[in-house]
Amino acid sequence: MKYDAIIIGGGHNGLTCAAYLARAGRKVLVLERRHVLGGAAVTEEVFPGFKFSVCSYVVSLLRPEIIRELDLPRHGMELLPLDGTMTPMSNGDYLWRVNDHDKTRREIARHSRLDAEAYDEYGKAMVEMGRFAKPIMGMLPPDPTSLDPRGLLELLGMGRRFRDMRFHDKVNQVQLLTMSAVDFLDQWFETDVLKATMSASGIIGTFLGVRSPGTAYVLLHHYMGEIDGAFRSWGLSRGGTGAVSNAIAAAAREFGADIRTEAAVAQILSKNGRATGVALVNGDEIHAKVVVSSVDPNLTFLKFMNERDLPPDFVEGVKRYKYRGSSGKVNLALDGLPNFTCLPGVGPHLRGAISISPSIDYMERAYDDAKYGKFSSRPYMDMVIPSLTDPSLAPPGKHVMSCFVQYAPYHLRDGVWDDRQREAFGDAVINAIAEYAPNIKDNILHRQVLTPLDIEREFGLTEGNIFQGELTLEQLFFLRPVPGYAQYATPIDRLYMCGSATHPGGGIMGAPGRNAATRILKEVSR
Amino acid sequence: MSGSARYDAVVIGGGVNGLTCAAKLGKAGVRTVLVEQRDQVGGCAAESEIAPGFRVPTLAHATAPVRRDVVEDLQLYLHGLTFLDSAIDVSSLSPDGRALTLWSNPSRTAEGLGAWSSRDALAWPAFHQTLGRLGGLIGTLFQSAPPSIDTPHARDLFSLMHTLSAFRGLPKADQWRLLRWGPMAVADLVGESVENELLRATVAADGIFGAMLGPWSAGSGLQLLLAAANRSLAWPGGHVVAGGPVVFAQALRRAAERHGVEIRTAAAVTRIEVNDDRAVGVTLAGGEHIQARAVVSGVDPKRTFLSLCEADHLPPEFSWRIKNYRSRGTLAKVNFALSSLPSFAGATREMLAGRVRLAPDLDYLERAFDHAKYGRYSSQPWIEFTVPSLSDPSLAPTGAHVLSAYAQFAPYQLRDTTWDAERDPLGAIVTAMLEQYAPGFSSAIVAREVLTPLDLERGWGLTGGQIFHGELALDQFFAMRPLLGFGDHRTPIRGLFLCSSGSHPGTGLTGGSGANAATVVARELA
Repeated sequence: MKYDAIIIGGGHNGLTCAAYLARAGRKVLVLERRHVLGGAAVTEEVFPGFKFSVCSYVVSLLRPEIIRELDLPRHGMELLPLDGTMTPMSNGDYLWRVNDHDKTRREIARHSRLDAEAYDEYGKAMVEMGRFAKPIMGMLPPDPTSLDPRGLLELLGMGRRFRDMRFHDKVNQVQLLTMSAVDFLDQWFETDVLKATMSASGIIGTFLGVRSPGTAYVLLHHYMGEIDGAFRSWGLSRGGTGAVSNAIAAAAREFGADIRTEAAVAQILSKNGRATGVALVNGDEIHAKVVVSSVDPNLTFLKFMNERDLPPDFVEGVKRYKYRGSSGKVNLALDGLPNFTCLPGVGPHLRGAISISPSIDYMERAYDDAKYGKFSSRPYMDMVIPSLTDPSLAPPGKHVMSCFVQYAPYHLRDGVWDDRQREAFGDAVINAIAEYAPNIKDNILHRQVLTPLDIEREFGLTEGNIFQGELTLEQLFFLRPVPGYAQYATPIDRLYMCGSATHPGGGIMGAPGRNAATRILKEVSR
Repeated sequence: MSGSARYDAVVIGGGVNGLTCAAKLGKAGVRTVLVEQRDQVGGCAAESEIAPGFRVPTLAHATAPVRRDVVEDLQLYLHGLTFLDSAIDVSSLSPDGRALTLWSNPSRTAEGLGAWSSRDALAWPAFHQTLGRLGGLIGTLFQSAPPSIDTPHARDLFSLMHTLSAFRGLPKADQWRLLRWGPMAVADLVGESVENELLRATVAADGIFGAMLGPWSAGSGLQLLLAAANRSLAWPGGHVVAGGPVVFAQALRRAAERHGVEIRTAAAVTRIEVNDDRAVGVTLAGGEHIQARAVVSGVDPKRTFLSLCEADHLPPEFSWRIKNYRSRGTLAKVNFALSSLPSFAGATREMLAGRVRLAPDLDYLERAFDHAKYGRYSSQPWIEFTVPSLSDPSLAPTGAHVLSAYAQFAPYQLRDTTWDAERDPLGAIVTAMLEQYAPGFSSAIVAREVLTPLDLERGWGLTGGQIFHGELALDQFFAMRPLLGFGDHRTPIRGLFLCSSGSHPGTGLTGGSGANAATVVARELA
């Protein structure tokens, strides 16, 4: 049978795009290479009885309209609160920020009264910024080089919205887009650990340091993250992040979409500049009116297609697009909970995120290693223990702990990511945790170490970049992924992109998938 | 009261921009007095005798270069300003004793590059021309004050439209390049364009000169584009001022005096007098008052507002923002009196008469920056030096020479030590570096002068020792220089204007900021 649309890749964006196309009555087929759906938003029982959100581990920016329109809660998605971030310090103290603003204020006051006051102002300002930035996420990025009046109007519209902001909001907006996280925070705060742990969010998925301009705007994400409309909260997904993907898949199926796993695409079929379908690794050919790729541009255009069928300037752009995976993931099966010297015992602090970002220097040193082709000897880490909130993930009394680790450069200067390097990296991670929770070593039953190379091989993310390409200024908005092709369309007629490599980028957000579907439905009739 | 003023305008600071502004005001018939704290005008365009018979360009050893409209407006060629028709833009020495030269003629550069990389020999002319085109476009923004953010004046918008149409006039590929390159890391920018590491470092150095950025810091691409913009506006007769930057300053002084400007040296301003929210003059160290209808500050924004103005004359938010204006100096200057011409392996006399860079590769530049992040100066700084006595023998006794060297990174803020303690150790490091490239160098030293960022602040009033009167960053550029909302040389105090490098375009010794400010001030006083 012939489909209206084939979606390559069953990650959360591919599934979201499929769901929206099916919802509009299109006949849709999703093809996933792996045996499970979800891409990087996946839950797997890596060790018997221990279920992990293998890659992406928190839900933050999932668009509320998607949750609503696809009715995800009814399809089994349940978001559980992940309250706060605890940052152990090298002097034995800690910084523990929670969602309760006043609590956090009191906690910050322990470190600096001035900062406690600034924190109110900062919070207000960020929420304003979030309001300005949110509509942009659902927007089709206009092409500033084209004379197409619609695009120009869009730009003018943004200009007008900018003009109508209050003056100091304008200032913040400009600064967020242009400054480094540390420089931006320096204006508000004096406490080093506070700035270090806040700026950490600015470097995730990039190959930049916290002092590099362009890292500030990600600070916004923490204020745009929404759970059931509540500003600022980050969350875990019951059953792991895979449950989000599965809920989206269930919604898509309910709308009539077909979804196949273990169906790896080998080639995108096109005839004189027009996509006609795909060929699978097993030789099957499936035809459709539209092909939508949720995998990254490297796979889409350089692996599944023949360069010669594409315009040279586009190919150049695709090759220039930067991935540079800079992070790894370590998943631990624990016999017991880590005991942090700065805050001993089992407490609510273990239910939130635990950030190993004790100082700005620590963050910079971690980056310095990576710049010269080594993984950080003392890496930055963001850790969660979801089994405390969702016991179904581990056997009774046991726990799973997920450690996001940066920096781990995809390209090592001496050597490659072999087993020896992987274990050395894993050891560096454990040692870094042990500095603050010495008992961790005795509690590890199993450990899974994912290097950028593992992430590339297992999840098809080029160079192991978790966002399908660096989130840097020159690769955002109308520049993502390739200048002139930021509107989900490609030089090939009827071939579209809907992955994190398109605006507005990575994270379990779903916006690229939804935006792409909107664009496709506009153009492709039944 | 302002009616009784003897002067229409008082200009604070006799640096290149103060002089340019004063001269242009005088030409416009504005009764102007300029006050300079030092006993000679010129600011960073200075010359001093470091040993009997040895004169060196004290700070800047090259202009940025001088802007064509400044030379023409003020007919500086009638006041002693001449240019050397030097064919060399800049050279780089490699540790293996070879030299690489960037000629002002790109095809001649390409010829030389053949010995290093045939690919780069091919790529260079195109890259050079692209930089030229993009620089030319940005240059169109340099010749007038940026429009006000809130109430743009038709005139300003017109100049913006001019730039916009120029943007549309660029080849599409260039339009996209411009959007990508600005926020990019200069290391990526050159990495995309050329392959030879020495060439990459030579070009990338322009992106980090005087900045608190490494080549891998995003946003360093901007400064490279700004340098290109300066070149596009340069006096066509040549980029190198015969006799050094001080001659530029002297020509400006003569032009100013010819237009009736009164110039007073050894006259330090202690306070800007404000009377009901309007600047009415200045008070000098001796207690003397100078009344004027307008006060134009050629000193950097932080010094202008934080030490010359009384806080209660400024809105609190403005003061807060100006405190956060980043001006972290990173450049040190080392001057040498030499008994003979050192023999730099691979360098011709023509190269040594121009600017020569010592930085073998991008990592070298980045490592030099790493130290600065932790409040230390580079153990191996990157150096740009010149031997001005080659083109102007009068600077040194017969057969003897002077060598002028910039050394980066030398951060103003040192950790656990002071510049008074580190001045000589830094000098020793720079000497040792030069000795590496020119064996026997140290034995030829007659005298050595080391100027740290602290000395730049003490002696020349540059806050933080920042040579550009504030870092050239994405968020401190164009309409945001020094602060968003005050990019048009105006300030919260009526009648107080900025004409220093801390106002747009503010890219070094071009006279640009002074010239633009003069237009605004003259219009205001008319």
